[in-house]
Parts: sequence; structure tokens; C-alpha cells
Amino acid sequence: MKIFVTDGGSDSFFTAVFEAYKESECVITSDSNVQMSFDSEVVSVDCDLEKCERVQRGIEKYDKNAIDDILIVLRSCDSLKEQVAFEYIKRLMEHKSPIDKAYNLPEVIVFNELKRKVTYEIHRFTGFLRFMESDSGAFYAPYSPDNDITDLLMPHFAERFKNERFVIHDTGRKIAGIYDGNEWIMSYAGEAEIYLSEYERVFQTLWKKYYKAVNIKERPHEKQMKGYMPVRYWKFLPEKSADNN
Amino acid sequence: MMIDERKLEILTESAKYDVSCSSSGSRRANKPGGLGNASVGGICHSFTPDGRCISLLKILMSNECLYDCEYCPNRKSADVPRARLTPDEICELTVNFYKRNYIEGLFLSSAVFDSPDKTMELLCETVIKLRKVYNFNGYIHLKGIPHADSALMMRAARAVDRMSYNIELPSEQSLKLLAPQKSKQSLLLPMKGLKEAMDYDRINKVRKNKVLPAGQTTQMIIGASPESDGQILKLTEALYRNMDLKRVYYSSYIPVVKSNKLPAVGAGLLREHRLYQADWLIRFYGFDVNEICDEDENLSPDYDPKCAWALRNMQYFPVEINTAPLAMLLRVPGIGAKGAYKICEARKFGSLDFDNLAKMRIVLKRAKHFITCKGKFYGSESLAQVKTSLMIEGAREFQTQLSMFSDSSTALSVLTGEL
Repeated sequence: MKIFVTDGGSDSFFTAVFEAYKESECVITSDSNVQMSFDSEVVSVDCDLEKCERVQRGIEKYDKNAIDDILIVLRSCDSLKEQVAFEYIKRLMEHKSPIDKAYNLPEVIVFNELKRKVTYEIHRFTGFLRFMESDSGAFYAPYSPDNDITDLLMPHFAERFKNERFVIHDTGRKIAGIYDGNEWIMSYAGEAEIYLSEYERVFQTLWKKYYKAVNIKERPHEKQMKGYMPVRYWKFLPEKSADNN
Repeated sequence: MMIDERKLEILTESAKYDVSCSSSGSRRANKPGGLGNASVGGICHSFTPDGRCISLLKILMSNECLYDCEYCPNRKSADVPRARLTPDEICELTVNFYKRNYIEGLFLSSAVFDSPDKTMELLCETVIKLRKVYNFNGYIHLKGIPHADSALMMRAARAVDRMSYNIELPSEQSLKLLAPQKSKQSLLLPMKGLKEAMDYDRINKVRKNKVLPAGQTTQMIIGASPESDGQILKLTEALYRNMDLKRVYYSSYIPVVKSNKLPAVGAGLLREHRLYQADWLIRFYGFDVNEICDEDENLSPDYDPKCAWALRNMQYFPVEINTAPLAMLLRVPGIGAKGAYKICEARKFGSLDFDNLAKMRIVLKRAKHFITCKGKFYGSESLAQVKTSLMIEGAREFQTQLSMFSDSSTALSVLTGEL
């Protein structure tokens, strides 16, 4: 059985789908540590924009929204994401019309679940991202999301804070979205050294006071809090940082 | 500008019992040179250890009150620390919290100081300043002050996303007894005025400075006065129908304030929970109040209101999952609005069996007694058995919700809000 290994990008994935379609049985993955069985053959996939285009056109013929959904699923941190997207594409080509609401098909259930996890995390970080003001007046937000979503978050904040300059830094993936008050780009970003503005500490303290005062301590419900705001996200929230709790 | 930490604490403490926190319903866009916009689905920015979401900066402008409402911790005769913020202090706080993405906007309310007009005037000044001077286009929810001049109210309504006048208590008699300075008219008239202004904008397709793009809501205290659930739900339905409210919030009474006019015990979480369930049936499931509860009756503590209705109407069941119309699927106990919609979509691709439903994450513990899949029935044949099983299931579900509180006797509902 052939195992197609992509570089993790979407062009590489669609090229792999093109190749995989010739095979009766195969797997697509971007995980180079993939477990091999003795009869498998690993094929590393190079991007071929023409093949990539053809696959996308094929998909669009039957469902013009499917490409967007697939691009979202490919942002997942799930190591099976390419395979899940591939199975979904195969089903779509078989069915020849949109299958996104075929909640009875197992391929659709798994695909929708991954998509939901990525879009849910994007939605969560529209709320949980925390900016701090640097002495240059630019705002800096470090975070470490499960999925690769930084460029998908940028439009929301670029619209909301259109006159500010800001950086959203995925410290785990070492990438950042940078907005200069006019347009945004993605860039590599290792360690950042930030000098805070004069008032940054003041507002962080006020925010922590507010957080404490608005809580009704006679009715604790920690489990619900942690359900809605997972502990792994707390590291970057001033109201949950160690000196507060 | 420095904002006093202690003032912020006092005015937050005073505002925190208000149930509503939603930031949804508005599509307000940012402007050139402006700060912020509204997100129509609402966004939660943090969660507090009581499990509630923080979406808006919820504060009072002042907790110095002329009124002496029996149930209110800020009433005139209460011995509590008092504070007031200036319009500029509130604007600075909002804008600086917003830029750091701590909040989605402002929820501003106030005790009635000096006079209703004076209070409303300062609230109005604050929100207009926030829009015009600070160029802030994020979400604003403003609480209306009863008895204030209606021109002030209309000015504010063109600047903010949502307003609310709290009904406070479910009947005029109870208002007279417990909040004598407020009258039904002083709460309903402004609501009506705002509704008419919203209707005008809609009919005339007004786009700019629309009145309350996220509409109005209200809140009432349950169990401080003797009204039945049936009466409360009748009032709720009338408010949705006649005032076009987006939400009616219920807050179950807890005895914080000692008074011989107030009951010594709280209303309890279960009652509030059942009212919210009934409220959802009215808004999203096509139920009429009369089907749920008679005027002088209370909701059953044993079953949720949809189960209770189904048990009284067994002649309609079981329904076949593959053919039943959406309106009927919505009436099956255990099937939610999302589930019913999913079933309708999925069955276009082929007929569904019991296993399909389980994989679609539809909870069948209750539903199985009321449905067939491809003609097969998986529930209990005897009505007595169905009742027992539903009662056990319902009690377990509610217990799980309660057990999440470390002290359920003082627990209030957190199951409200927009979540």
C-alpha cells in the first residue's frame, strides 16, 4: 500500500489526492513519523500546481463550498486530517452533489467534527486572545492554539482594530500575523522581546480586579468555567495568571 | 486618567447580579478611524469561577440610590459603600479594556441618583461620548431608567445596540409591595416606545443610527412574590408578542436582604430551570403557553415541560423519524432544535435507523419512547414505565447540573446567559 506524505500545505495535499486517485488503496498524511507496515511504500509528494488545480476544479464541480471546508480541516492538529479530508472527497465524487449535511455517513461525521474543532477554536480565540500595549503603541498578543489558525484570526482583528498596529504570535508554531494599521502579513517569529507601555500594568490590574469582583463566590462552578475556558489556554490570560490566583 | 480600583470594585459588585451578559444580535460595523465592531453571534471573553461568561464590562455608573426596593442590595436604606464614575472614566475603561480584547463592549446600568432624568442624562452622555468622541463601535447594552424623560431614552437608543427595562416582578401588585417607586406603566411605556421606534426603522428601512439593532430584553425575579409559573409564562409570551423582546431573563429569588415582606427561603434552581425550558419551547419549538401550563398552575418539578406535554398527549406518538414533519420532530422529548434539523437533512440521503441517530449524537434515552425508526420501536410499551424512566432520567440530568455546584443550597442558576 502506498503512503503519500505531504509537506502539510494544501497544495501538496491536493497534489497527493491527484496521485492517490490512481491507487486502489492508499493513505495520505503529512506526518513523516507515520507508522509503516512491512508492505507499504512511502511516496513523498511534491507540489504540482496543475494537478492541484484539476483536483480543486473536480471538487468544485459538485460542491463549491467544499474547498473552503477542506482548507479548514487541513488546519487541524489531528494527525489523520489529510486522510479524513481524502475520504470526504472520495465520498463527494461518488455522490456527485454536496454531502456536508449527510449526517448519516461516517466520513461526513468525522470530517464535520474536525471542521467544528478548528472553527470553534477560531471563535474561542476571538474572545480569549489578550493584547498588551507595548511602549511603541503597538499591541502584542502571544498565544498557543491547538490548531494552525493565526491567519484565519487576522481578518477579525484587522477589522476590529483597524487603526491599531498589532501582532498575533503563535508561540508554539513560531509564526505571527502582523498588522500595520493598513494590511496584514504572516511571518516567521521566534522569541519576542516586548517593552510594555506605561499604562499596561494599570489596565491589567484593573482587569484582574474586575474579574474578581464580578464573580459570585457564593456559587462556585469551577467545572463549568474550565469546560468553557480550558486550563491550557490560561497561560496567556492576565486574569488567570499565577499572581492572581 | 487614573481610575480608582476601589470604585471599580464597588460598581462591579453592585452590577454583577444582573443575569444578562449577551453581546449578540448586532451587526454594527466599524467606521474609518474607529475602534471596534459587533459580532452578531456574540463573543465570550472570559469565564469566572461561578461558571458565567464575561462578554461585556458590566458596571453601574453609580450605586447611590433614591429608591428603596425591598429586594435590592443597593436600596437607599442599605448600609453599603457607595461610588460613582464619571462618563469619561467609563469611556476610558471601556476603550482600554476593549483594545486589549478583554471585552466585547459595555453593559451600563445605574442606581437612580439625584433624579431619574439626571441619571438618564448622564448615562446618555456616556454612551454618546463613547460613540462620538471615542469613536467606539463595539457593543453597548444600556439599562433604561424608569420615569426618565422619553426624549433622553430615544437619544440613547440611537447610540446603543440593546436596551432593557427590567420588569422586576411578575405582577403589578407585587411591584406595589416590593418596589413601590416603580410602576408597571413606568416599565412598560418605555418598552412600548422603543418597540414602536424599532418598527418605524424597519418599515422605513432606516440604515444609519438605527434604534437598538440588538433589540430589547428584560428580567424578572422569580419566587419573591406569589405568582404561578402559568402567570409568569403568560406574561413572558405577551412580552415576546407585544414588545418583540429578544429575551426574558428569570432570576430566582435568594434571600440576601432580610424583610418581612419577602419570603425567608429562596425559589430554588429547579423552578428557574423549568421556566427557561418552557421559555425555549415558546420561542424555538412552536409551543403555545396554553399547551405548556394553565394560568394558575406551576410547571411539573418531575418532568421537563416538553416531556410533561408529551405524556399528556400520547395520542400523537410514536412518530416515525423518517417521515415526521419538522414541527412534530421538535415536539419529541429529547430531540433538540439542532437534532430535529439534522434529522431532516440527513434523511434526504437515505432512511435513518436507530444507530444512525446515535452516531449523529442525538440523545435517545428519552426520545426512544416517542419515536420509531423504519417502523421499529425501542421504547417501553407501558405508560407507567415510560413515566418512571423519564422521571429518573430528568432527575439525573438535573442532579448532574446541580452537583457541579459545591454548595447547591445557595446555588443560583448560571444556566442562563446566551450559552
